[in-house]
Amino acid sequence: MKLEPRAVPLQDAPPKRKVKTTQVVNGIETEVEIEVEDVPAGQWPPRASLRVLNHDIPRVDGPVKVSGAARYTHDVRVPGMVWARLLLSPLPRARVAALDLEAARAVPGVVHVLVVEREETGWLGQPVAVVAAETLEAAGDGLRALAARFEPLPWVVDHAAAVREGAPAVGRGANVGRPETDGDEARARAALSASATRVRATYTVPVQHHASLETHGVVVDYRGGEDAVVYCSTQYAQGFAAEAAKELGLKAGNVRGVVEHMGGGFGSKFGLDAQGLYACRIAKELKRPVHLMLDRRAEFLMSGNRSGTSMTIEAGCDAQGSLTGLVAEAWKHGGLGRGSLSGLPYCYKAGAHFRDVRSVRMHLDASRAMRAPGHPQASFGMESILDELAYAAGLDLVEIRRRNAAHPAWVRQLDRVAREIGWDQHPHRTQPGKPDREECIGIGFGISNWGSGGSSDCEAEVRIEKDGSVVVACAAQDLGTGTRMYMAAIAAEEFGLPVAAVTARLGDSRLPTGVASGGSVTTPSVAPAVKDACTRARGAFAAHLAQVLGRSAEGFRFGPDGVRHDGMTERLAWSKACGTLPAEGLSARGKWQESLQTRGVRCTQAAQVAVDPGTGRVRVLHMVCLQEVGLALNRLAVKSQIQGGMIQALGYALGEGRQLDSALGLQLNASFEEYKIPHALEIPRMTTLIDDDDTRNGVAGVGEPPAIPGASAIANAVHNACGARVRELPITPDKVLLALGKVV
Amino acid sequence: MADGTARTDGAAEPVDLSRRVFLRGAGGAAAGGVLAPALLGAAAGGCAAGATAGAGAATSAALAAPPGADPAGRELVGEVEIELAINGTRQKLVVEPRTTLLDALRTRLEPPLTGTKSVCERGNCGACTVLVDGEPRYACLQLACDLRGRAITTVEGLGSPEKLSVLQQEFVAQDGSMCGFCTPGFVVAITACLQRDPRASEQEIRRACAGNLCRCGTHPQVFAAALAAGRRLAEGQR
Ligand code: FES
Ligand code: FES
Repeated sequence: MKLEPRAVPLQDAPPKRKVKTTQVVNGIETEVEIEVEDVPAGQWPPRASLRVLNHDIPRVDGPVKVSGAARYTHDVRVPGMVWARLLLSPLPRARVAALDLEAARAVPGVVHVLVVEREETGWLGQPVAVVAAETLEAAGDGLRALAARFEPLPWVVDHAAAVREGAPAVGRGANVGRPETDGDEARARAALSASATRVRATYTVPVQHHASLETHGVVVDYRGGEDAVVYCSTQYAQGFAAEAAKELGLKAGNVRGVVEHMGGGFGSKFGLDAQGLYACRIAKELKRPVHLMLDRRAEFLMSGNRSGTSMTIEAGCDAQGSLTGLVAEAWKHGGLGRGSLSGLPYCYKAGAHFRDVRSVRMHLDASRAMRAPGHPQASFGMESILDELAYAAGLDLVEIRRRNAAHPAWVRQLDRVAREIGWDQHPHRTQPGKPDREECIGIGFGISNWGSGGSSDCEAEVRIEKDGSVVVACAAQDLGTGTRMYMAAIAAEEFGLPVAAVTARLGDSRLPTGVASGGSVTTPSVAPAVKDACTRARGAFAAHLAQVLGRSAEGFRFGPDGVRHDGMTERLAWSKACGTLPAEGLSARGKWQESLQTRGVRCTQAAQVAVDPGTGRVRVLHMVCLQEVGLALNRLAVKSQIQGGMIQALGYALGEGRQLDSALGLQLNASFEEYKIPHALEIPRMTTLIDDDDTRNGVAGVGEPPAIPGASAIANAVHNACGARVRELPITPDKVLLALGKVV
Repeated sequence: MADGTARTDGAAEPVDLSRRVFLRGAGGAAAGGVLAPALLGAAAGGCAAGATAGAGAATSAALAAPPGADPAGRELVGEVEIELAINGTRQKLVVEPRTTLLDALRTRLEPPLTGTKSVCERGNCGACTVLVDGEPRYACLQLACDLRGRAITTVEGLGSPEKLSVLQQEFVAQDGSMCGFCTPGFVVAITACLQRDPRASEQEIRRACAGNLCRCGTHPQVFAAALAAGRRLAEGQR
């Protein structure tokens, strides 16, 4: 008997089923049995009936990660593989004056030297040559043997130099991009003039690096012939496989892209990238596999970043604190790229607003998407000016936010977050504190949002084998957010199995169409597709059992106690039921469904800091976050991801930022020694709350919003603590002392 | 590559202060010592050039000559076979005198041990942390040939996916790993801390892994996992 997967017929009145759940009655947890609809398709079961999802689920790939067994692109070893390393332009713009190819080729072990730029480089860190060798060490010797010489050409790597009359041009076109404007300038300015209180200030944020621990790179396993496997540390398995096929001159279907695990991306890893193309070229030439991973310096210089911004904002409010007008002028610093900046007034509404945003180009690596592109920058400007306005008008910092927030969800979130951080007992609610003690305590707030919807192309497949095992598959990748785990968890929920009984396969271009993991789209894309596949598989399984057992297909239920039928008293164990399947088992394909996801996620954060006005040192004591997440597939992983975002924001606030020497054309902190991301001793107490007042029963992406408002909240808290308004991130001790007038 | 035959490296003179040039002048252990005194193993051991060289122990300032090199031992080039005790097993491998323990584990062992991660290669991140005679060390700052006769434990030696250590179990339970790239380093560093004192306080645990970077921001879960594991270990649970 051949089993054809088919859709479940929709029924008018969904059948009911009984489920056990815990309810808190008078503060005591009790197990109760409730009746819920057995929803056939297109909807998640009611939250109260969920047995696996919306609980804390340990990751299915946890054991391989904690034991070092997880294989990342860096770890891929294939027979005959050569190791490749890059030579980068040490200057923002230079003539390539000398490259001793013969010397490099003569180095024992060196098997190939590829020159990718012979004439002139146009940005700091631009790849110039690639050396491939039998060992990593020999590849390094080859690079040194090139004895590259560069003659400097005029460059611009800072805003002032780039906009100066007669500045060296960055590529074609003007260095300053065309203005992107929004709003009515005349109305906004009139509103400002009429406002009871108005303030104006300039805020600057630096370029932030993604700083993923696994650098960008690939292993191209091509040994001649018609096929290849490409391993790439990427956020889009299917995307890079197609690119690699083109570069290798192979049929698209003959190149398999694999990313089993990846060590962070945060928006910087999508395509094959330059180094991937070079690796393909060398592999094609040598007919040997090539391992090419960036080293840390290259990762800083050439793998993208979050664009910097300088913005001048003028804002006004009426006597009650309602924003009447806002005018913003901003410049984005995205190197060769255009950079990104979310629209001001960001998550707030103003009576009238006008903004004029331009990008300023420089001889530097192009910016890329980074966790909520454009949002943290806009948030810093907006939350800062709001505090300055509140102080000028003598208003409560929470009240001014409640009044102007563009969505009611933020109002309830602000109330809760204010409670958690102890706002009511805080002495400086309408005026900042003074630098009159060794440890000044301050509190700051920030709010954020993100679209968070899924991609309609996403598909998934579920296979139920005769031996009872279940496999869920989708080509999407797991960036560390727990994709693998919730794929398995959804199937476990649907079939009434333990999570461990399900195998999730992903990160392979040959699997059903996945999605590029950027902008928090993975979960709202993949989860609906997996859910749909499971629903269809259940329908097909029920139809099969109906034939085998001579019962109606509609009556079958899959639960932790096995397979039941409404008209039968006895149960069929899952393994027994699966035993009746034909040898090839059963499979079903699912597609993304709008109704299974939700869009628009709001988040509110508060930070409490201690500032030492003698040294300018800032310590974050406590961070609170309350975030909407729609239906949380795994509360444990959602909380981890929210906390991770907050910690990145802490880095953005206090330590991170690219440092350049304009005259020498160098990045001064292209290593983890000088580029400072948060470490264990800086992690504050963290209160991470899922906003369960958000009852939308759809899945949303949760990764971006928590990375946005934390830096703004910390900056505001520093000001609130002691009156030091630092308008440029990161807030290093020297800037605090400068703001306090202690150094000039 | 690692075919076991030694050869003389005929490369042109490097043009900058490469690790190799530095080593010629300073001696391997001293080189590491300059970079990170706190995490460097005992510097006195030095490198004996292994079985094929047949040389005895030498001081780190004048490493024994590998076959094919200058017999006076000034020219530290070529490949030598050494034996290292890794995760309780003696393993032969061919390295260059300048090969770090990190690269030796990841690229010279057969099969390679890739659980130890390479992230910065200069002692800034802790992702390469291993135990040398029970003490946490950055593998990127150790020369493989200096570690002859020392007991090296990598994350793979602490537990396997099927049989996780108590700490590894708690990392899973508390969600102490997201992308997971930093995780082996944290696991090894905290293992050493708990071996010293399973009752270590959160502050001590934080200090034990302050040299480990995590970009995903798993720190709070890592601390929770370490404390939970410490409690279990103190009670004698496995
Ligand atoms: S790789 Fe050794 S400390 Fe970073
Ligand atoms: S889990 Fe990704 S770097 Fe730590």
